[in-house]
Amino acid sequence: MVWVTGLGLASPHGDDAPRVFAALMRGESAVRQILPELAKPTAAAPVAFDETRWFTKLQLAGVDRVSQLAVAAADLAMRDAGDGAMRSLDPERIGVYVGCGMGGAAALELAYRSTTGRVPPLTIPAFMPNAPAAHVAMRQHAQGPVFTYSVACASSAVAIAEAAKALERDEVDLAIVGGTEALLVPGVVLAWQAMQTLAGFAPGEAATACRPFSTERSGFVLGEGAAFLVLESAARAKARGARAYAELAGWGVSCDAAHLSKPEAAGQARALRTALRTAKLNPADVGYCNAHGTATKIGDVVEADALRSVWGDALGNLRVSSTKALHGHLLGAAGALEAVITVLALYQRQLPPNAHCAIPDPACGLNLVREPGTAAPGLEAALTSSFAFGGTNAALVFKRL
Amino acid sequence: MSSLKDLQDLIQEKYGIEPSALDPSASIRGAGLDSLALVEFLFAVEDRFGISLPEQQTEIDTLAELATLVDGLRATQKA
Repeated sequence: MVWVTGLGLASPHGDDAPRVFAALMRGESAVRQILPELAKPTAAAPVAFDETRWFTKLQLAGVDRVSQLAVAAADLAMRDAGDGAMRSLDPERIGVYVGCGMGGAAALELAYRSTTGRVPPLTIPAFMPNAPAAHVAMRQHAQGPVFTYSVACASSAVAIAEAAKALERDEVDLAIVGGTEALLVPGVVLAWQAMQTLAGFAPGEAATACRPFSTERSGFVLGEGAAFLVLESAARAKARGARAYAELAGWGVSCDAAHLSKPEAAGQARALRTALRTAKLNPADVGYCNAHGTATKIGDVVEADALRSVWGDALGNLRVSSTKALHGHLLGAAGALEAVITVLALYQRQLPPNAHCAIPDPACGLNLVREPGTAAPGLEAALTSSFAFGGTNAALVFKRL
Repeated sequence: MSSLKDLQDLIQEKYGIEPSALDPSASIRGAGLDSLALVEFLFAVEDRFGISLPEQQTEIDTLAELATLVDGLRATQKA
């Protein structure tokens, strides 16, 4: 059995996980207009981050923001897991599993935009996608498996599933697992705009631009940040008297193997079924789904179809929300952030709202969490899913302890 | 003219290393700058003083050595 014993965030709503969850429960959006120099207005959810809390100036040489955020969130997760988490732990039995879609975008952009013709010599180690995992390993003295999963929007959900498997196979005693992404630089934002998947918005309405499962949805907004969880075997966590938030009970991954960017319900449903089977749960046992819900025209309907094909008649009892409306799409970090939110929803038996959805799309037909501050007194299990460009799907199921 | 003070200011500004924490005759690498960070620092030196350091700059190991080199280049530039 795998337990979640620590949570850490460097997210658009801040770095204190319970306060972040409380802000989401109130339906507060962290999305605003960014990069005013761009021709097309851009909404995104940036992180207010003070890197000097985690690094000296010397340590910052060659460390991109994507790694800085990861080091901070992983450190907060380890602190949250308590002093006992590291006690009598062999460094070789600590694993680090990190999802990251793109790596150090700011470092690459800085190199390309250099006006002196000179590129910082630490650009390569700054932007390589496995830099965040390596920096977390150095900071936490983790000498076991230190892996990076780059599976687009499913990166960190896949990382969590892989860490759970490593714990089940007794390859590690403790896993520091999460995701990080920091792409809010002009070059990358322009590339996303070119893909026609970002939400449009009227002047002054950036905060409500992302409207998952709404008839008025027009796409997602980018977010940045990092989210980490500490996973341990239940036996170890019990033995050290750890406070545990939830059991990571099930995980499922699949690939559509159909199209690079168009999602497919059948592939998503395979991941959902596998996650339920691993968790030894029936669909009706799961009370809450933190949906992928990117608010694209096609994506939300496909996701609803996948849920319907697995839940069937029980779909009406599954409460669903996509919190991307409030924190944006963290891409490689989305799965981890939404896992943290799902764990806290289960732990507190509170459901964050599916915001900015005045008129739910009947084509989706989901039992959305419409109001802020919704309690779920009987909640016993919750699910979160991440569906990636490339067709890889990942679903995670958590159980209350 | 000695560039030592300017170099001490620059390394403090860029990496937070106080002048008192780095003896001018001690190894800069010993203060925590690895070879690539040192190259980055030398780029900053070139930008700050508007000079171009010779290619064999990797032999530089102390602030005092670097100050001598920078002094020479600045003097040549003025002449």
